[in-house]
Amino acid sequence: MNRYSRRQLLRIGGVGATGLVLAACGKQAGVEESKNITAVGVVPDAEGLPNAEVNDIVLLRTAASLEYNAIDTYEAALGLGVFTGAFAAANDIAVRLRDDHRGHADAINGLVTKLGGTPFTCGNPRLTEVYISPALALITDEANENPALDVVVLAHALENLAAQTYQTVVTMLSDKALRQAAMTIGQEEARHAAVLAQALNPGLAGVLPSIDEATGKPKVAAVPGAFGPLTPIPVTLGAKNPDGSRTSLNLETPSLNSLAYEYITCA
Amino acid sequence: MTLPAATPTPPTSADRALLGFANSAELAARDLYAVAAGLPAFGADEKTMLVGFHDHHLAASQAIAGLIGKDAVNVREDAVYNAFRGKVMGSDKSAIFDALRELENTLVSTHVSLVGTLEGTEGSALVASILTIQARHAAALALLGGRALADALSNTAAPLAPGASS
Repeated sequence: MNRYSRRQLLRIGGVGATGLVLAACGKQAGVEESKNITAVGVVPDAEGLPNAEVNDIVLLRTAASLEYNAIDTYEAALGLGVFTGAFAAANDIAVRLRDDHRGHADAINGLVTKLGGTPFTCGNPRLTEVYISPALALITDEANENPALDVVVLAHALENLAAQTYQTVVTMLSDKALRQAAMTIGQEEARHAAVLAQALNPGLAGVLPSIDEATGKPKVAAVPGAFGPLTPIPVTLGAKNPDGSRTSLNLETPSLNSLAYEYITCA
Repeated sequence: MTLPAATPTPPTSADRALLGFANSAELAARDLYAVAAGLPAFGADEKTMLVGFHDHHLAASQAIAGLIGKDAVNVREDAVYNAFRGKVMGSDKSAIFDALRELENTLVSTHVSLVGTLEGTEGSALVASILTIQARHAAALALLGGRALADALSNTAAPLAPGASS
């Protein structure tokens, strides 16, 4: 009597054939490997990233890095000397908000030190690379007709990003006192965003969400809804492209690829 | 490598009592905005904003109630309402905006304190999302009331405590 079905025989045969192929591809015992012949598919050993833990220190260092992003951006904006004429009042706002961010950075880094970590005293490298530097390049482009307006637009987006970041880390911080400290600063970032929204869209009409009838796009609002949003922040900047459009960036809160891990240092 | 606390934790029984207080404080704010929006001193655009803020406080109270279910008080906190009711009257719009800003700042301080007390992250995440909007309310009211930039950005209000009249 045949003990194996046709299906079982095919399965056993398949496993055996696979084993033979793998054996042929592998190193053979007693055979010296040639260093002169590069085998197809052989690559250097991968150097992985350090295995970093995402803990309270990392989250707070990341928050501090965003504070430095804001400080650097306000410094750059003030250095451009664009706050004149209709934007003269923006100069005083920028100075005040920059100083607030310096205070926030010191407060957050104080907590980092208290937890045994190393303070983070520069802008977030990843966010600088993907958001801040491209945005400032667009703003300072010679063809840009309104750099002062774009600076305020960028600052508004960064304040929203900071507010969202503090709101986001509340669920990640293990210590309740740190959550409270985060939101003490987070609510100030929300106020910054509201003030800049009023600079961009002043008066009662700029408080609640509304639509620009000419473009069909939402206008800037000081109070965007009933709850703090955690959505990407679109920002349109710079000179018009040949097709008449302008460049848009989507700012998102820091995640695994942009946290200020303890092995990352300021250059 | 993953982000911590991927799964939010529900409110504890102590959290539920605190969130119940927050629910009733939000309803007090809702009622104060209803009073303000009914004042003849305000024009249509101002009333639109006041009704909008009223709706935000209502939404906040409902969201908290949704989180804690049967533990929600769903009745306004009279101590909060009575503390501000006398200031939300008359025809001095700046004074009324100042009173509402003080109310918002008080709620922001209360909620920030709550975030530092709540054990469950579901509650602290919700309260955090509410308080950032109320900070924006306060800033907008300061600017529309003609106050200085510093008034829009700072908050010196003391937090409310459950069971204590303000």
